Amino acid sequence: MSLTETGQQTRRLDLRIPLAIVLITVALAAPFIGSRYVTHSLIIALIFMLPAHGLNLLVGYTGLLSLAQAAFFGIGAYAAGLMAVHFGTPFYLNLIAAGLICGALAIPLGIPALRLRATSFVMCTLGFVIIGQAISKNWISLTRGDMGLSGIPKPYFELGPLSFTVSGTTNFYYLALAIVVIFTLLAWAIVRSPAGRNMVAIRENETLAESLGVPTWHYKLIVFMMSAVFAGVGGCVYAYYLTVVSPLTFQMYYSTTMLIIVLGGGAGMISGTVVGSLLFVGLTEALRVAPELRMIAYGFCLLVLVFWFKNGFAPLINRFWNAVGGAK
Amino acid sequence: MTQHLPILQIKNLSKSYGAVKAVNDVSIHINRGEIAGLIGPNGSGKSTFFDCSTGLAKPDAGTVILDGQDITGWSLNRIAREGRMLRSFQKTVTFKALDVEENLVIAGQMFTFPSIAATFGLGKLSRQRITGLRERARELIRMAGLWDVKHMPAGNLSGGQQKLIQFASMLMPEPKLILLDEPMAGINPKIIERVVDTIRYANKSLGVSFLVIEHNIDVVTSICERVMVLDQGSKLAEGLPHDIIQDQRVREAYLGG
Repeated sequence: MSLTETGQQTRRLDLRIPLAIVLITVALAAPFIGSRYVTHSLIIALIFMLPAHGLNLLVGYTGLLSLAQAAFFGIGAYAAGLMAVHFGTPFYLNLIAAGLICGALAIPLGIPALRLRATSFVMCTLGFVIIGQAISKNWISLTRGDMGLSGIPKPYFELGPLSFTVSGTTNFYYLALAIVVIFTLLAWAIVRSPAGRNMVAIRENETLAESLGVPTWHYKLIVFMMSAVFAGVGGCVYAYYLTVVSPLTFQMYYSTTMLIIVLGGGAGMISGTVVGSLLFVGLTEALRVAPELRMIAYGFCLLVLVFWFKNGFAPLINRFWNAVGGAK
Repeated sequence: MTQHLPILQIKNLSKSYGAVKAVNDVSIHINRGEIAGLIGPNGSGKSTFFDCSTGLAKPDAGTVILDGQDITGWSLNRIAREGRMLRSFQKTVTFKALDVEENLVIAGQMFTFPSIAATFGLGKLSRQRITGLRERARELIRMAGLWDVKHMPAGNLSGGQQKLIQFASMLMPEPKLILLDEPMAGINPKIIERVVDTIRYANKSLGVSFLVIEHNIDVVTSICERVMVLDQGSKLAEGLPHDIIQDQRVREAYLGG
């Protein structure tokens, strides 16, 4: 009996570490494997992963459906763009500022919005996107309106005598990858902490969480702020990548894309958001082969997702990961 | 000196919903280490009284004093966290998607990590605290007889088992006082026995005081040292369980016959 057991154990190898090494290698070598267009698509996927991580904290972990993510994405983009163009501040400073400004703005927006019930809260967050777009269009002296804000310089880093400018798609890919890795780890650390457990408690049953001492109102506001910070950082990277910011950054379409990434990838799972970003940005890019049918095909894919993968790809990812790890 | 004071004193509590006076000028107290019962017909204001005492609803008038401290107007979470007065709900509630052990760990978290900032902490100290919570959770799971199902999602368990989870969760933070809203509703006699045992254990060994709303008179007479009766928002009677069930007014208003 012990023989078969050991036999089984040797057959069920833990392949997680080798798989992780392969994935990391692919991520690092991606610009050299695929074409420039593939690298460009990957950068877009990485950029969307940032607000999506934030949204996952809000929707997936705390159970608050928000459409405001595109608003904070746009605010982050404009904040970084304005600072870079007007003050010439370096990239890393603008990145931090974009995150902090969005986090700070989330407080006055969140305090009234979070007092609303589920559906009213969603409508309210939708309003933020529309207001954001209206302001970016009409405050012409600040945003230059529909002309947009152009001439955002390439990110550069200075460390003493050393300076480095990130130019070209390949370099930008590594910059985006580094930022995304940091923020993915940050999101992971948040959900793994006791606070992450309290967030899940609020999602599962707010009154019960409250009765067990969790200050649910403060938690919801803090998570709303954190999600705005993630979106702001994403907006900053987006602005630097396109070198132009226009009112189009405040698009409802972006909010829905981020929501599709989170829900389709698997709400309440960090890896779900990672897979979701790559998959859905990949999908929209892949469907460009048939421009007329693109949105129809996209819609069809969503229908398939809803019917066959009700919880997104998360359960699938879990099963795959466990299988790779040698579990039954 | 505070040892002689009641653990909970509620003075002249009133609450109206529109024209309906749900609770009308009710004063009660619960002695330290006591299991007290609160009975009354449906709609007599028992649950409203609970909600106003625990911060789920704001009373229109009256004061709530817990362990010598005025907690009137505190929020539900603050009363639980700082006052260590916990409550259950009439409808059994658990974190359904999470397993039994996680349910209990969550229940203990806000008491182990004193601030929100601390709950975001990673580090060694945080891990140690979580390990401590997990150990305590396992102890209580064993006591509640849920050991075999500790890794099952709470939502997959029976109503009675979920009641036990709810109950064990409330013991996680080492509470001073627990308010139970119909703990025996809708569960089979075997589990009733287990819940009764758990209440007695918590009372004797952990020093927890209780206020129990219950319709099962057998349970009330067997565990409660003192019983209060509410009827139409007002206190009708108060006394020893066997005196109360003999009381003519109580029989007319509630027990029938």
